Amino acid sequence: MKTIFDGKVRVLDISMGWAGPLAGQMFAEMGAEVIKVEDTHHFDWWRGSLSMAPPEMRPIERSAVFNTVNRGKRGVTLDLASVRGIEILKRLVNVSDILVENFSPGVIDRLGLGYESVSAINPRLIMISMPSFGNDGPECNTRGYGNTVEAMAGVTGLTGYHDGGGQRYTLSNALGDPVGGLHGVFALMVAMRERERTGRGQLIELAQVEALIPFVADAILEYQFTGKVPAARGNRHRAHAPHGIYRCAGDDNWIALACDTDDQWRSLAGALGMERIAADPRFAGASARKANEDALDAELSRAIAHLDADDCLARIRDAGVLAAPVNPAPAVMADPQIQSRVYFVAIDRAVVGTHLYPGAVARIPDNPLRADVPAPMLGEHNRQVFAEMLGMTDGEIAELERIGVIGSSPRQYRSAS
Amino acid sequence: MRYRALSDVRVVDLTHFIAGSYATKLLADMGADVIKVEPPWGEGGRKLGPHRAGNRDRGALFAFLNLNKRGVTLNLKHDRGRELAAGLLDGADLLVENFAPGTLAALGLAPDEMIAKFPRLSIVSISNFGQDGPERDGKLNDLVLFARGGWTFPVGEPDREPLTPPDSLAQYVGALYGAVAAMQALAARDLGLGHGQHIDVSILEATVATMIYETVTFQYTGIVRRREGKRYAVGPFLIVTLNCKDGYAGLHCVTDKQFEGLCDLMGRRELASDPRFNTALNRMLNNNALLEIVEAFFIGRERNWLYREGQRRAIPLVPIPSVVEVLEWEQTKARNYFETIDDPVLGTIRVPGTPLRLTSHRGEASRPAPQLGEHNREIFGGRLGLSDSAIDALEKAGTI
Repeated sequence: MKTIFDGKVRVLDISMGWAGPLAGQMFAEMGAEVIKVEDTHHFDWWRGSLSMAPPEMRPIERSAVFNTVNRGKRGVTLDLASVRGIEILKRLVNVSDILVENFSPGVIDRLGLGYESVSAINPRLIMISMPSFGNDGPECNTRGYGNTVEAMAGVTGLTGYHDGGGQRYTLSNALGDPVGGLHGVFALMVAMRERERTGRGQLIELAQVEALIPFVADAILEYQFTGKVPAARGNRHRAHAPHGIYRCAGDDNWIALACDTDDQWRSLAGALGMERIAADPRFAGASARKANEDALDAELSRAIAHLDADDCLARIRDAGVLAAPVNPAPAVMADPQIQSRVYFVAIDRAVVGTHLYPGAVARIPDNPLRADVPAPMLGEHNRQVFAEMLGMTDGEIAELERIGVIGSSPRQYRSAS
Repeated sequence: MRYRALSDVRVVDLTHFIAGSYATKLLADMGADVIKVEPPWGEGGRKLGPHRAGNRDRGALFAFLNLNKRGVTLNLKHDRGRELAAGLLDGADLLVENFAPGTLAALGLAPDEMIAKFPRLSIVSISNFGQDGPERDGKLNDLVLFARGGWTFPVGEPDREPLTPPDSLAQYVGALYGAVAAMQALAARDLGLGHGQHIDVSILEATVATMIYETVTFQYTGIVRRREGKRYAVGPFLIVTLNCKDGYAGLHCVTDKQFEGLCDLMGRRELASDPRFNTALNRMLNNNALLEIVEAFFIGRERNWLYREGQRRAIPLVPIPSVVEVLEWEQTKARNYFETIDDPVLGTIRVPGTPLRLTSHRGEASRPAPQLGEHNREIFGGRLGLSDSAIDALEKAGTI
């Protein structure tokens, strides 16, 4: 079956880290030809540091996260500090549909690749600029990475235990990055559709922090109605109890469970042999349970602590109560529903071998997304891309390599990290 | 804020609560003609978010999630209700829905039949677990979804229970995948096939999709990340939320340069060449010692001083703001990010604006979320050609 773009759309991805590269990767899933450009001086920092292993181990080819979000791309290198490098990049701009960048504000202009310059070369080009905090405003130069973006969006301020004394925690997944990338794909798809109609490209600006703030709209609105700063609720619900995470037998095994109604609470208590507790007036009715939640959690913790997690979950779910294991990564991958739908895909990647990677989320029956093509090694496709796309001869490519405008070995570079 | 980029796209919106409603909001913000179809008693999400005293039927989160849409009511259990729904689907580009799998078919609006009948229509189904698999009919809430999808396990104190993320973050991620899927359906139709498709988006899979730090890294390293308290992890970096004199600050120190900057900030430049910390690898091996030094420095400083001085040295170091500070942040103000909505019931509310800034169109003010059945006459009369008396009769019969 054909992919959506069937090789007819070309994306030039000069972004680094997660957000920008994810946008490029999702275009690769749709069958676009995606060229990942890395600077010969500053390769994508998500490849990690050269100091992590001896050179023969090729440490920068062993980054799990880089190898995930750059799947399906062709990798080239260019010295972006050199006139030749920029000139070659502009020739790639001329034959591309989309340019993805997430440099700090101003960098793209200093490289001579601001929207005015690239649209003069190629008016059909759609360019997306994905700075962390925007390209203007008094604090646009704030250095942003996943978890600092998450903080400035207000997410971290809400992440803490209900009794944690104000300590805040970073989420496990640098949420600002994938959320920025997903918005980027959406915006580019909108612009592609518009270009079909108008024949013209455009510039899209996406501040990653602005993409994440809507996710805490509820708390922002709550403040406007109550005048109070919403507190971190930890594992608790604002109205219902029980609603928490409880330890089971074994090493670091936990389950999450939640009751919305009195019936669910009685069923839960029955399933856990807690009939005596269920009859306790401190826990009769939603408001009583909420008012006595510490005592309720203590009783539940006592009842659950000695139980096998699987048995306990089966009992609770049979009683019609919402519950799940608190899954570490291997359990997520072994989840029966995830397995049944074959969500993860196996990919054999040079240097690291075969691993499972998250598949494409949208299941599109007649144009399935392709998430099973490995990420490129540094400069892996220099020859192919420069010859095919720009018509360079072997001699020209060898000369570029000799003078260091392109290359595939990190030894000749200053490390970015 | 609303753009007109998708003004030729017609969307029938059968969504409710968050994941569905935010997906169609993204389309509506880009100018798509989104008609939200609710049962005559309103979708469950109408009550989401804070309320004004005396009116529990319109929550402020609903008012945000449904900006820029028009609203009609239809009882899909009535034959006439289904006919009218089919009438709306005729000529529509997209149907977006987040019912439990199988619900559309049970209502007589089976996706395959609808697409066969209206070949240009695509259907995007957003559901908890996907349209198939042993648990396709399962229920979820945020706590359980985060736990199952892997977000919760690595967060919190090592000697305490894992800590769930706040609010409904993963529902919004599901919504984003749904909105992208809607655009993918349009692209597939217009660039190739000429006909629509039924796209299946699982919120659980969308949740897992963002967990690449865990799922892929653990296969590479064999190490399952566990709770490290205020530290994101023990690694060749220092990613940590630190207690300051007047609150908390977030530090993301990864590269050699950032570490040198941090040493300079602390007035301890010698640490950069200290054999315990002079490489990323050594900073991982001696992470506890490094954390102690940094903690001791931060606790005596104010977070805004740390922010200013840290950023001056190009260190990703930020104060951790409350949502109130986000709302009042000079940066969001300078960029006119928050939008003021004059809601017919809730009055003036400030809501997050659209993060996508297209240069092809000038942004316009958002339209408030529809009141229940607000556009019945406009849509059933204007688009489907029903007379006023026919609409009155439908109202009387409880169909609309």
